[in-house]
Amino acid sequence: MFGNEVLVAELQSFMRPLSLALMFPAGLLGAPHGFELEVRPILDRSCLKCHGGEKVKGKVDFSRIKTDADADSQFELWETVAEMITEGEMPPEDELQLSEAEKKTILDWYQGRLAAPIEARPGTFQPRRLSGPEYRNTLHSLFGFELNVAVAEAQQTEAGERSLVMKLLPPDPPGASGFINDTHGARLSSVIWDQYSHLSDAALEQLFSRKGREQLGALTAASLSGTWTTADFTRAQAEILIRNFVPRAFRRLVPEAQLSKIVSALAGKNGRALVEATKFELKAVLMSPAFFYRGLLMEGVPGKQQSVDAFELAERLSYFLWEDRPDDELMSLAVKGSLSDPQVVEGQVERMLQAPGARSLAESFGVQWLGLASLDQMVKEPIRNHALTSQPVDFLNYLFTEDRPVMEIIDSKITFVNQGTSGFYGQDRQRMKRYASTKGIERQTTLNQRLTLEHAQWRGGILTMPGVLSMNRGPIQRGTWMLRRILGVKLGEPPADVPAIKPSPRGKNLSFRERFAMHRADASCARCHEKIDPLGFSLGAYDASGRFTAVSTGRKGSPPIDTSGQLPTGENFKDFAELKAILLTSQRETIVRNFVERTLSYALCRKLLRRDQPTVNEITKNICEGEGTWRSLFCQVANSLPFRETMIEKEREE
Amino acid sequence: MSKNWNIGRRTFLRGAAGALVPLPFLNLMEAGAESKNLAGEAKPPLRFVTLFKPNGVHPPSWNINGGSENDFRMSPLMAPFAKHKDDLLILDNMGDFGFSSHSNSTRRFLSGHHSNRKSASVDQLIADKICGSTAHRSLELTTEGLFTNQIDCSYISYDHKGNRIPRESDPQLMFDRLFRSPMRDPKQRQKISSLLDKVTADAKTLQRKAGREDRETLEEYFTVVRETEQRLQNMAPLAGSPQVDFSSLVRPEGSANLNEQVNAMLDIIAMALWTDSTRCITYMLGNSNSRMIFDFLGIKKQHHYLSHFFRNFSRSNIDSLLKISLWHMEKFDYLLTKLKSYKDHNGSLLDHSVVLFGSGMGHSDNHTAQRIPIVLAGKGGGMLKTGRYLRYSKNQELSRLHLTLLQKFEVEAESFANSSTPLPGLDGGAFEEYRERPFESWVKIGNGKITVQGRLRMSDNLDEAKVFYIDVKDKQSVRIEVGFGDFHGFNLAYHVGTPITLTGNSNERSGQLVLTKVTELKSVFGKSKPGKANG
Repeated sequence: MFGNEVLVAELQSFMRPLSLALMFPAGLLGAPHGFELEVRPILDRSCLKCHGGEKVKGKVDFSRIKTDADADSQFELWETVAEMITEGEMPPEDELQLSEAEKKTILDWYQGRLAAPIEARPGTFQPRRLSGPEYRNTLHSLFGFELNVAVAEAQQTEAGERSLVMKLLPPDPPGASGFINDTHGARLSSVIWDQYSHLSDAALEQLFSRKGREQLGALTAASLSGTWTTADFTRAQAEILIRNFVPRAFRRLVPEAQLSKIVSALAGKNGRALVEATKFELKAVLMSPAFFYRGLLMEGVPGKQQSVDAFELAERLSYFLWEDRPDDELMSLAVKGSLSDPQVVEGQVERMLQAPGARSLAESFGVQWLGLASLDQMVKEPIRNHALTSQPVDFLNYLFTEDRPVMEIIDSKITFVNQGTSGFYGQDRQRMKRYASTKGIERQTTLNQRLTLEHAQWRGGILTMPGVLSMNRGPIQRGTWMLRRILGVKLGEPPADVPAIKPSPRGKNLSFRERFAMHRADASCARCHEKIDPLGFSLGAYDASGRFTAVSTGRKGSPPIDTSGQLPTGENFKDFAELKAILLTSQRETIVRNFVERTLSYALCRKLLRRDQPTVNEITKNICEGEGTWRSLFCQVANSLPFRETMIEKEREE
Repeated sequence: MSKNWNIGRRTFLRGAAGALVPLPFLNLMEAGAESKNLAGEAKPPLRFVTLFKPNGVHPPSWNINGGSENDFRMSPLMAPFAKHKDDLLILDNMGDFGFSSHSNSTRRFLSGHHSNRKSASVDQLIADKICGSTAHRSLELTTEGLFTNQIDCSYISYDHKGNRIPRESDPQLMFDRLFRSPMRDPKQRQKISSLLDKVTADAKTLQRKAGREDRETLEEYFTVVRETEQRLQNMAPLAGSPQVDFSSLVRPEGSANLNEQVNAMLDIIAMALWTDSTRCITYMLGNSNSRMIFDFLGIKKQHHYLSHFFRNFSRSNIDSLLKISLWHMEKFDYLLTKLKSYKDHNGSLLDHSVVLFGSGMGHSDNHTAQRIPIVLAGKGGGMLKTGRYLRYSKNQELSRLHLTLLQKFEVEAESFANSSTPLPGLDGGAFEEYRERPFESWVKIGNGKITVQGRLRMSDNLDEAKVFYIDVKDKQSVRIEVGFGDFHGFNLAYHVGTPITLTGNSNERSGQLVLTKVTELKSVFGKSKPGKANG
């Protein structure tokens, strides 16, 4: 724990050079003044009435965009504007329309800015609510115990959701980034408020109960003997508790005045009354926006691009790698100001990847990125579900935390197998250690074992894990999944009037694949399907449950399964093994770029913006040049500009 | 009376068993006695509670054999709740023909028959009738997670479409839902209100320097705070809420083991009924093929394995099974004791409740559906005539019992599951009693040899699970204490409850005649040597 008064002084001395740096913000480039001179007058004339003048419709407010720099920071807005103007949707029919010349001016300006090289700039600072898992882990590490649902342990029996937090909180929907830590769209509601209130009460009750004695001792720096009861709680202990608890809850140093105000609220109270008063004060901390939102307390200057403060950086690191609050080591580094050194950050990333909390990378980042939760819908039987889901999670955890090259996700000699999946691994399963089974047990979930593939070469990497294969049934789902999740290609929704796949013409017995080729002849379908189909059909030798039919034959009497194909980029392959080789070579950069984008997006808890592209390019290049590992990817993300810096928006001048 | 309650709360809460028992405050117990009726109704409300026992039963130690409606001897396993004899209606010969899977037997317990899959279980139909004005319509509780290989093993309560009703296992969570709701507790409302004032004041200090995004976030926060304040103001106390100070109820601490978890839940069940928070509760002491490990009893093997006591026979296994079975009976006793400790109207809570205790299966090893353990407790406001043992002449399907209960609770029902005739006798009316074939009992001794005929029964002391007695009319019972070879070879446990003729060596120990070695066993009416599959 860090002693407060000394450290406040340390913090102040650390903040001084930082504010000097703020006087020379990066990112002011000599951009042409196209916006101010040409575009803004048109907007003021034709758009401002509804968007920033008399009202602000659709949250689009042009009155706040004054300079070229303002305009550049709003790139997503201009994408929408260009689309609206091209489609003729804006201005509305009953309003004054733009002239062709005006349209051209705006679109030319937009095209010019789009093509222009852009400088890396951080995103706008946005506080956000902790996601469910973040809230659960933060409470856990703050109190030192988990809030669990009481249910008796029994063999072969699923206890259901064990975490009281996850059981009570409504599930977070994925945000624009596709990740649930992007809670910008999942606002605080009174339902969530009630659950926070209930969970805070439950945690505080447990802290002061027999069960919480050890943790209460730790937080009050006292050894509470077996005969200790809450009647023996002293004000000195309460004060230590508050001084330990509050900065940890707020994940930063807290001004002495604020702490002493809380302590003084306990004056004159003793024993159980003191306990009740302390609980009340601590509950107010847990129900404070500064606790369950991230970033509300960050120091910074509105209207400027600047480094995030040291505590915000510590918090970004710990929520990225652990889904949890910073531990004492990160906090003390933040206090010392050491985190401004990229090498220190690298050291911390290495350390943090060794800690148990890093498993959240596989369980949250990996599962959400690859959409593994959809297995829950496909495979309901819990034992099979556990086997199919835990395999890719354990595999990702291995890649993420053991410094493996990023491309091993596509092909690896290592896999993780348990009793539910061993049947897919041919002779290799013979090298597994036997599972002990207890008397009276028929089937049960078992832990995965690390297995080196010697024979089942067709199983290396995540793409051919039985869970991933059975989660996506049929060539189209499989192709779409690979394209979106692995290659990072953005596909539009299929058109509403999509023609059905036609049956075989009379007298011909065409395979699904041949009929699909007919479908692809339709140009509007071909746009996506020429990308999807080759990937999907290459996995034809794996059946719906992911079983490999070593010889590529179909059902009796039907022709052999055709797994060959050609990518739109021209590469030919005859089966999935050859496609995998292509993915590992000529498609490598595309795939690495996607990994970088997904990781950065998860780390920043937001959708990536155009201004993040330079960062993505740079990290992609670094990873591609060497044998880039996941650890180096995490380090580079943690030291990247959008991670370390931010832009605080000014209040709107009234 | 009230002075007798005047003991230190902690002393009282510690209870006789030594566990920390979260009981309501004593003043509250007095309050209940003084205010005639908590719900303010003319008649005390009726309650329906079921307690489900997993893994059938070990018949040799459970069954009552011989005896009649008003003159019977409770079995060794019934010892823990024997003190409630006057409040019990023990039903025998309940069940079905043939055998039953765990999954089917679970459905049978409250739905009458495993094929009754499209309608509500009996508890839910009763809840519809009696729980209209309570804060919670019904509670469905359990101890254990889901048995995923056969999911139906984990549910006894089903809704009107026959769908499984999710169960809750956490006592603290249940306590908070029942008694910490601001809807029911004005003190809770006050507490929340002062918290809202405080966090609003604290959060306002954050607004000073904030950028635009911060301000929007804080606005979101203040909106929710205001909404919560508004909700609190709009909260009127529920009609019929009792004058109980909910903040005086003691929240259970986190349970260290299964025993504490179950006791805490049973406490909550009693409190929930007494405060009229609900009138209908089902509680499963485990899934119907429960695989819990009773480590707090020093048992390492799981319950389901042990319950197959014949195929997995060993001396230590049977001891373990009996310990677990006794624990189940102790929990039934705990619940009844608790319900009796609350005053309700002119009697106890139990007097105005019907508690259904039992299983959906008889013999836990061969899964027979006959002689399913079923005990009713409480008079249900007079609907049941307790203190009796009803052994029906023929197998009675559970659905007949369910139909009777529905009618007694004034639910309109002509039939339930596969029954359209109610079960007679529960209210003291006539019923066709089981008639045993008469047999003689006698004992002949001479030359160190003994031949004794009479009904074989297990020792009342379940710590000596290998010891049996044969009761002889007008004489002292003969103790059978033989080696493992005879015990197992002659399969004595199989014959328990039936008359046999046993020949062997004997001696006399401090006045007790003991048969120490079996030379011949003859069943008076049945087969002397059972097939292998029977236990």
